[in-house]
Amino acid sequence: MSDESRLDPDALLKVIDVEAKSKFQGKLRIFLGMSAGVGKTYAMLNAAHRMKSEGKSVLIGLVETHGRAETAKLLHGLEVIPKKSINHRGIAIEEMDLDAILARKPDIVVVDELPHTNVPGSRHEKRYQDVLEILDAGIDVFTALNVQHLESRKDTVESITGIRIRETVPDSMLDRASLVELVDIAPSELLKRLREGKVYLGDKAIEAADKFFKEDRLTALREIALRMTAERVDQDLQRFSVTRNDVPWQTNERLLVAVSHSPYSEKLIRATRRLAYNLESPWIAVHIDTGIKLNDEDQAQLVKNLQLARELSAEVITTTDTSLASAIKRIARQKNVTQVVVGRPTRRWFRDVLEGGSLLARLVSESHEVDIHVIRVENFTHQRPSLWTELALYRTKTGFIKYWNTLWFLSGITFLSAFAEDFIGYRAIGFIYLLAVLIVGMFGSIGAVLFSATFSALIWDYLFIQPKFTFNIALPEDFILCFAYFAVALITGFLTNRIRFHEKLMREREDRMTVLYGVLKDISESKNKEEFINKVRTRVDELLEGDSGVILKGRDGLLDFSGSKSYSYPLDERERAVALWTFQNRKSAGWSTETLSQAKALYIPLQGASENIGAFMFRPKKKARKFGPDQENMLYTVVGQLGLAIERHFLSKRIAETQRLEDSEKLQQTILSSVSHELRTPLTAILGSTAALEGEVAANPLAKNIVKDLENNGERLNRVIENLLDMSRLSSGVLALSLEWHDLSDLIGVVIKKQTKALSSHRMRNDLQSELPLIRIDFRLFEHALTNLLLNSAQYSEQGTEIVVHARVKKKHLLISVEDQGPGIPEEYIGKVFEKFFRIPGTLPGGTGLGLSIVQNIVELHRGTIRYEKNEPQGSRFVIDLPLEPQPEIPEELKE
Amino acid sequence: MNPTSKILIIDDEAAVRNVVKLALTAGHILSEAANGAEGLEKASSFHPNVVILDLGLPDMNGLEVLKKLRSWTTIPIIILTVTDDEKTKVALLDAGADDYLTKPFGPEELQARIRVALRHTGLIEATPVFQSGNLSVDLNQKSVLVSGVPVKLTNTEYEVLARLVRDHGKVVPQIQLLRQIWGTAEKDQSHYLRIYINQLRKKIELNPSEPIHILTEPGVGYRLV
Repeated sequence: MSDESRLDPDALLKVIDVEAKSKFQGKLRIFLGMSAGVGKTYAMLNAAHRMKSEGKSVLIGLVETHGRAETAKLLHGLEVIPKKSINHRGIAIEEMDLDAILARKPDIVVVDELPHTNVPGSRHEKRYQDVLEILDAGIDVFTALNVQHLESRKDTVESITGIRIRETVPDSMLDRASLVELVDIAPSELLKRLREGKVYLGDKAIEAADKFFKEDRLTALREIALRMTAERVDQDLQRFSVTRNDVPWQTNERLLVAVSHSPYSEKLIRATRRLAYNLESPWIAVHIDTGIKLNDEDQAQLVKNLQLARELSAEVITTTDTSLASAIKRIARQKNVTQVVVGRPTRRWFRDVLEGGSLLARLVSESHEVDIHVIRVENFTHQRPSLWTELALYRTKTGFIKYWNTLWFLSGITFLSAFAEDFIGYRAIGFIYLLAVLIVGMFGSIGAVLFSATFSALIWDYLFIQPKFTFNIALPEDFILCFAYFAVALITGFLTNRIRFHEKLMREREDRMTVLYGVLKDISESKNKEEFINKVRTRVDELLEGDSGVILKGRDGLLDFSGSKSYSYPLDERERAVALWTFQNRKSAGWSTETLSQAKALYIPLQGASENIGAFMFRPKKKARKFGPDQENMLYTVVGQLGLAIERHFLSKRIAETQRLEDSEKLQQTILSSVSHELRTPLTAILGSTAALEGEVAANPLAKNIVKDLENNGERLNRVIENLLDMSRLSSGVLALSLEWHDLSDLIGVVIKKQTKALSSHRMRNDLQSELPLIRIDFRLFEHALTNLLLNSAQYSEQGTEIVVHARVKKKHLLISVEDQGPGIPEEYIGKVFEKFFRIPGTLPGGTGLGLSIVQNIVELHRGTIRYEKNEPQGSRFVIDLPLEPQPEIPEELKE
Repeated sequence: MNPTSKILIIDDEAAVRNVVKLALTAGHILSEAANGAEGLEKASSFHPNVVILDLGLPDMNGLEVLKKLRSWTTIPIIILTVTDDEKTKVALLDAGADDYLTKPFGPEELQARIRVALRHTGLIEATPVFQSGNLSVDLNQKSVLVSGVPVKLTNTEYEVLARLVRDHGKVVPQIQLLRQIWGTAEKDQSHYLRIYINQLRKKIELNPSEPIHILTEPGVGYRLV
């Protein structure tokens, strides 16, 4: 076999993965159209009817008929789940009832209008998230989607139609679909339907519709839809051909896109996703924190961009570096990236100067091992950020206050210099100013350095350089000196500033390491689980300013809110539901996420290496504040470590518990065997001696009776011992049944033979149905059960009366009954006869009251039941009811 | 009965040794040992024909004594045990015990076991004809008679019966029966045995539900008497 014909293991794994996933998860079928009105709902409902006629259970999760008779007619005969009403700011809004669908568990559910955004207060922000949850529950979903709502096509469609599209669905939904069905119609036909009023456009969309429904635009949209479907077919074919082993080796491409806080990044992300999809390669979105302080709006845009990348199934990395280019180079090398996607440079020259050169230029000149894509700014209404915004990037943390401080500082220096001028001369003053700029560079921002260098140069010129109080400079050497001063001040100021920033980055990295190290130390140094959980919680609380908590899995496999005291604030029903959702779905939810975001706290699943352990919760002190990416990363890392530690703790506890069980089982066995030895050995001596005595005293009737009593009591004692041992074995829970096929008549024979002496006072009779089936029982235990029943009957009925054992098969059950002709059990005690140590008051002494309880225990171990009945005309009847198992095969020889 | 049979009883309880002494009729020569070490020593010096061994000894486990004895001699060993646990019994038989007696036991049981054990040592002559009550089996002739009337058995039924006859009086572990007749040691196949024993009893016992010839030893095997 040559190398070429070998299967690509990665590709194969992917195929297996897709196949395995779809085995446990529901299948998604998307009806894709170019626009509203092509008949997606119609096609979808027709498909639903077909499925129903094939015997599948089909439910309508949500279909809006919008008063169209055609659609309403198709709904006929399909069960519709009623919508759930959600109260939002006093208005009742109806949404799909997700829980009702999950509870009904149909084979297929139909959910129209995939891009829909749910009312705030619903479980998920978007309907497609509802659909994902339904799929995860193993239910197939039929849904409809227009091409304009796909994340990656949004830009193109916006540029074609000129309409803003707000509701989008991540492209990964298309990947999830096992079938994408294109619902196609000629644009002219669609326009005809539109004129006939057959297309519903939504309440507000009437004026937009005029723009939208033009034949040329529809044709463009149709082309997109057709191309998408063709791409998908291509993908399916590729996936198929991988398993057929006829695809040549492909180099594994890996893409990287740099993401910033600019809205332009969205476009880069979508473009990269498209490239990655067509190359079938993984891709990485990187955000590099260069220390620039973002305002809230920019921060929100950045989070949105990263979220978009995540939705489009990118691996998202955030890192810190002073230079974009070197960070991209570093990550590209680490992750074996082959292609880098960047945007066209839009920033002003001074930023390139300040931040170490244009990114594109540096990437092109320094990264030889990667291809570089520069994405065009087509149709993007891109404005250069205003000069002011770009400058604002360099403001200091506390806004422009620091500039005032710089100003005051420089004024002070100027004041001092004015005194010193007479002693040191105006040229030396320049050095004092240089020192001042260096000091600003150490404490201020780049902006402050720029400001102080410029400002000090001007003052120096104005106040100290001849001619004074003008900006003119008389001497050429002073002129050169002043410019040199400005350049030196600027450069040294920047360098100092950069050193300081590096230092800050190092410190931040170190802080992160310290926190992680601290967490690990907390975990390793704590004596018990509670201690390290509390230590880690305190650490998180201090670090992120909030209240954290840990809710662990209880014995029932759900979260245990009562047991653990590991959270400091009360949880209402709602918060508990969010925590539970997080735990069960292994996804974060609540505050700052897109799922159940109305919750007060953020819930993160606590997971060990192999199992779900619980949920970690964090409630911020200030709700409005969102996490920065590094804070979020930090929290997830800490929670990950905590999960592993708790799991380790659970595992060691479980091992200890197993060990203890084993030990107690061993102890139990030892006690049992030593008790039986210690009790039975003397009995052997007693009974053996009486047997020998019997012959000796044959002549003396009184002595003969005494010996007889001795023997009877010895045997009674033996039975009591047996019962006590049985009882302790049964109730210890360490008893393992040794089940084998047995013949009931054999069992009865053994019991009667063994108890011949004890039963000799009664007439024994068997009434067994011929050809009894074999039963799978533990012979020894069942022997004890039957012995107890027979001895019980013998004890409580007159000597000389009859005891009968019946056995017969009735409806796949074997009924074994023991009847006597004694007084029976009084009505009021019938319910108690199987209780431990219960004896009917007033009966003869002898017996522990354990016998029947043991019988019941043994029968129940065999999944049978026992009941008491009155025997007619008098006496008791105990009936054992055993369910029969399918009989084993019969030897060939006996079959005829 | 051969008058010179020598019997060694190893048990730490004097009372139990007395019971054994009382049960054994004159003509047996008896030697007693109160612990395992003494028992092992006497087994080599006294040259017993049968050893009766208690499982619970003060100095060592009876199973250990059994294994040590089996390392150099094949004399019949009957174990006295207090446990009902079939696993222990099967383990004893596996380790080379010939038979066992569960405490408390009667003198007749003990006498019967010793008789069987002596026959297997050759002290009591073995014959190819097994005769017990109304049942007679001739292994040479391959004939089975019940009250003098020939009974027709299938091949497998006969094999099972013949196997029991060869070791009559002694318990035959079911695992041996399965292995020797069906070539399998699977517990899952035990229903074969139940079915054949049931068939056999119908053919040779007067009252199959209260058998007197083929006795069941719960969890261990069968014994033909």
